[in-house]
Amino acid sequence: MSGYPERDVFFVSNSVNELGGVTSWSHQMARLFTGRGHRVHVVGIAPAEVEQELGELPYRTKTLHSGRPPRPGRARRASMREQAARLTALFRAARPGAVVIVTQVWAMEWVELADTRSLTVIGMSHESYAYSKAAGRFRRVLKHYRDVDRLLTLTREDADLWIGEGLNNASYMPNPLPFMPDVPSPRTANVVVSMGRLHDQKGIDMLLDTWSEVAPHHPGWTLRIYGSGEDEELLKKQCTALGLDNSVEWMGSTGAVASALRGGSVFVQSSRGEGFPLALMEAMATGLPCVAFDCAPGVREIVRDGEDGLLAALGNTGELARRLGTLMSDKELRDRMGAAARANIQRYGTDEVVRRWEELFAFLER
Amino acid sequence: MNVDPSRPPDATAAVPDVTVVVIVYNDESRLPTAVQSVLAQTLRGVEVVIVDDRSTDGSYEVARRLAAEHPERVRAYRLPENSGGCGAPRNHGIEQARGTYVVFLDSDDVLERNACRNLLEAAETTGADLVSGLCVRVHVDSRSRKEVKWYPWLYERTRTLESIAELPDLLVFDTLSTNKCYRRQFLLDRDLRFPVGIHYEDLLFSAQAYAAARRITLIPNRVYDWNVVEKAATKSISNRRDEIANFAQRMEIHRRVDQLLAEQGLLELKFHKDVKFLKHDLVLHLRDLPFRDAAYRHEFAALTRDYLDSIDHAAFDEVEPIHAICAHLLRGSDWDHLLPAVDTLTNRDKISSPLLERDGRIYWCDAGHLDGDGDGFGRQVMDVTELGYHTKPVEKMFLRNALTGYAEAAGTVRLAGRITNPLGVVPPGALLSGELEFYARRKSLRLQTFRFPVATLRHEGETIAWEASADLARGLRPLGIVDAVWDVRLHLDVDGTRTTTRLTASEPGLATGQLPVRPRLTRLAAHHIEPEISARGHLCFRLVSHEQVDAFVARGVQGPPGRLAKSGYRKAKAVRKKLTSGDTKIRLYHEVFSRLPVKKRLVVFESHLGRQYSDSPRAIYEEMRRQGLEFEAVWSYSGSPVGFPSDATLVRRWSLPYLQALARAEFWIDNQSYPLKLTKRPRTTYIQTWHGSALKRMGFDEPEWKLKSRRRQEEQQRTLDRFDRFLIRSEHDVRTLARAFRLKEKTLLRVGYPRNDALVRARQSTERPPLAAELGIPEDRRVLLYAPTFRGRGQRRFELPFDVERFADTFGDRYVLLVRSHYLDHVVLPPSVRGRVIDVSTHHDVTPLLALADGLITDYSSVMFDYALLDRPMFFFAYDYEEYVYEGRGTYFDLLERAPGPVVRTEDELHAVLGSLEKQVVKYAAARERFVADFGEYDKGDAARSVVEQFFSQWRRA
Repeated sequence: MSGYPERDVFFVSNSVNELGGVTSWSHQMARLFTGRGHRVHVVGIAPAEVEQELGELPYRTKTLHSGRPPRPGRARRASMREQAARLTALFRAARPGAVVIVTQVWAMEWVELADTRSLTVIGMSHESYAYSKAAGRFRRVLKHYRDVDRLLTLTREDADLWIGEGLNNASYMPNPLPFMPDVPSPRTANVVVSMGRLHDQKGIDMLLDTWSEVAPHHPGWTLRIYGSGEDEELLKKQCTALGLDNSVEWMGSTGAVASALRGGSVFVQSSRGEGFPLALMEAMATGLPCVAFDCAPGVREIVRDGEDGLLAALGNTGELARRLGTLMSDKELRDRMGAAARANIQRYGTDEVVRRWEELFAFLER
Repeated sequence: MNVDPSRPPDATAAVPDVTVVVIVYNDESRLPTAVQSVLAQTLRGVEVVIVDDRSTDGSYEVARRLAAEHPERVRAYRLPENSGGCGAPRNHGIEQARGTYVVFLDSDDVLERNACRNLLEAAETTGADLVSGLCVRVHVDSRSRKEVKWYPWLYERTRTLESIAELPDLLVFDTLSTNKCYRRQFLLDRDLRFPVGIHYEDLLFSAQAYAAARRITLIPNRVYDWNVVEKAATKSISNRRDEIANFAQRMEIHRRVDQLLAEQGLLELKFHKDVKFLKHDLVLHLRDLPFRDAAYRHEFAALTRDYLDSIDHAAFDEVEPIHAICAHLLRGSDWDHLLPAVDTLTNRDKISSPLLERDGRIYWCDAGHLDGDGDGFGRQVMDVTELGYHTKPVEKMFLRNALTGYAEAAGTVRLAGRITNPLGVVPPGALLSGELEFYARRKSLRLQTFRFPVATLRHEGETIAWEASADLARGLRPLGIVDAVWDVRLHLDVDGTRTTTRLTASEPGLATGQLPVRPRLTRLAAHHIEPEISARGHLCFRLVSHEQVDAFVARGVQGPPGRLAKSGYRKAKAVRKKLTSGDTKIRLYHEVFSRLPVKKRLVVFESHLGRQYSDSPRAIYEEMRRQGLEFEAVWSYSGSPVGFPSDATLVRRWSLPYLQALARAEFWIDNQSYPLKLTKRPRTTYIQTWHGSALKRMGFDEPEWKLKSRRRQEEQQRTLDRFDRFLIRSEHDVRTLARAFRLKEKTLLRVGYPRNDALVRARQSTERPPLAAELGIPEDRRVLLYAPTFRGRGQRRFELPFDVERFADTFGDRYVLLVRSHYLDHVVLPPSVRGRVIDVSTHHDVTPLLALADGLITDYSSVMFDYALLDRPMFFFAYDYEEYVYEGRGTYFDLLERAPGPVVRTEDELHAVLGSLEKQVVKYAAARERFVADFGEYDKGDAARSVVEQFFSQWRRA
């Protein structure tokens, strides 16, 4: 039924179940590939420090090191070689046409020591080029991904930037939609929703500045901030100082993302940096028009500015406030953009993304 | 990873994805490398077709051997006879290719290993007929294999064009055929082949392919390494540009491409190509002209003349004036003016023509060009007013100095020349003197220069003629070996002001012969010096050394002694750099100067980072002097100390005395910021006067600041927390600046701006300030001041948003317009508006200008808040309001709602409202009053006195 051969697909990550976006992504893909008849293995280099609940898995997982690997030095190198040999054995058992997907550059340091001669190796960078630079992973991406068969970034724009740095094997692959709710938001509640860790990167401080410009013009509207994190206290203080306690609700983190989104009419994101933000995709799938800082190629890739959401220049809270105001004061525009968002986000539907992956596997064999 | 290149292509793929056509002529040694770069491609479905252009070496045998070694992937062909170019073999390759796509490769170049995979992926995903990638020129014989990207701006990102018309620059600049992948069926359907029997076949082929392609995709990936060999004995075609025959072929190809574009109706492309021809192609050849003989020059002119006639006049507007001038002079074969103009083309800041002023404009030259053609085109081309030559003093001019005589006898050279005197900048009666200076080209060796007086200097109107002789045998003492090249310049002193020229050899073969010299190191190093012309056309001298010495020196420089000496020198340089670096100075400030006791009554003043003696720090300083306080004043300056007060100690910003003064001062008074990294001592009081109320968002209200990480924000806050006092002129400042800088209430000093005391006084006065007379403004003219805000758009010249000549013609009999641009936005006014429009940008202090002006025209500058205090008419020329407000950082309030005068968007509207100042005075009286109440409530005219009273009254003499 697939039209593509069934393959052995290895996901190699820092760990099998570390809490975070990359883990969610790899297990989503692993389930999808399994569903297509591929034989999937998920390999972690070391055990997770903070675990994520994964449920019953229809494929095999394996963790190489039993604890944290030794500190860099001779002992580290010896243990890496030992674990790389286990990877080699795993790879040798695979059928021809097997593919290794390395989801993080740290894991690549092990994979490059293993024998991958008869396999296709795909490296991935799950963050924007700018964020790699800011996070100090820039040199390591250049070094360890130099010779993989394909280095996948999240967007064409990020790939072009890496190509500009000399990584001629760079290309891109978007993330698939995490879920597709059956019922979209009715967009009737006077509620703006924000969702993300309460951390500097998510720019909730800038969101509060923004809201202080919006709220006075829109009495009766509420900003619901979902999420928790180390900056909670600081941000709540700022909220009080700005006199926004009456129009801001601190919701804490939630497991019920879909229903939280359904309770809003507009979604707002004020991050300083992003990769290919799932939160925007989820909000759009729920039929919410998004207002966001244009902080990464992934954001302008997901939101079509003026068509299914509105973008503002990064850090320009005045502009973000104006964009929010535009949507809050125009129900018809909200409905039009919300409906467009729900339709447009289908291009990252799971079937479409899986098809692109299988095409890529075939292309790299030519 | 898939690293096995010998793996055969997928058996099911009968047709290879890509055919790479490798052409070769007498290049047996490099051919295998080129072919190997194809076989090692990450894309396996690639075949190689080698076409040998009937080489006379073993190239074909090598090709056949490669084919035998890789029978599935390599085929070798040979043309029946040598074609002498790249066209015929490539055409043969197209015929033999089997792949879905075709790529061309020359035997001396290589493909990047992912090239075919990336080109194929792009072609298949976009369906393009043509995919082009980045080519890199690799200078294989340079020391570090220097790499230069080929027109990288075309290849910054992936993009797909439906037609070449969307990106004319691609056709105009990237004329290579080799960094591209063509759909083979496209080549066959459109019958695309290379021209045969002519050089530069790539130019025509690529133009044809671009024009025919239904879709073109550009990828940023490096695909092709163009190996460049500079020192090769037989230079490749593109390097042999001094051959007139080549040039003739080049012009022929240009003609054919133009014809193609005309046939396809691509006139816009022809226009872009014309612009590039004037800016690049022509310049390449023009620069060589001074080194060529008359026969060459005439042949060259004959080849270009017709072509230049075909160039759209509008293209001349798109290039720099000197490009257009050279092309125009060449077309008219005006050699007397062209050769000096080429000097300016090569040395862009040089003035090589006497210039002339006519009808209020500045022209390069006349000689019939200004009125000869009847349509005003020549006049337009020769107009160089916008370059602002007429506004430069002689010491800021780089004048052409043409060498007219060179003779040597008995170790002495006798030189003669003519220095251009543009617009009579050197007046006839000027006191002239001059000297020749010889100095080693290597900068680190300019320990000693050798000077010889210029014996005669004669003012001849448009030129200054000079003669000098230099006894080089006795007077020039090089070290030898390390200082092999000596440059020459002539300093001309005009009434005590010095301007420096270089000697341009205007004719080939003018300076020849050898002169004896005595190097200091050893006579063995050299015994002669001979004249030479540098690439920029300037006279210099080169030591001629013995061949044995050369070999000896080479051994020394490249061997252990040389390495040791070089590394020692580098280390010494690094130490020196470190000692004078900012970091060291900052440490010195904190660890040494800040340990010294704070000096009572020491006050350090600074305005706009030391650029001016102005604003509130100046007003406070002058009030302190007026009251005769006893204190020690230090003023900081950057650049020149001219214009700063003589009764204060002047220190250069960032100098050691500056840092020491800051460390020991009892008071800091400035209006912007002292260096951010300097910690203020607790016993020093920092009075921050600030420099204007805010319309634009500032500080932590700016996106740039908000985006900083928390740690950087805290760092920033620490620099702001140095302010002990912050001057406030209205509650608007409290809501905006104080909040944006997160200042504590107790630092706010609600006294108004000291600089504005003068404006409050001027409001009462009816007398015109003496500045009017200084600027030569007649009694019966009223004064308008145009003071726009800083635009800061890169390096481009700031263009006034209205036509000053029209303004002067309309209002010149009633108004004098003063133009004050930001110091970074340089304005040039044409001579035609002299006396009617005056550039006052260099005035340190804006306040006297405001006091003088009977009306103000601005856009968003904060002078509006200050000028309002005068209660005189204000005009807001906000031609780009939406862009400024929404695309920038945003504003604190809507100017359109609160402006105390008409806001206009166009030049016509501006003219309309300027018709009557009186009308505006009446119409906006209430609005101005409101504006002052909102933004200047504390400016009562006694701000300086209040500050002095509060902080310095105890310093009054008893």
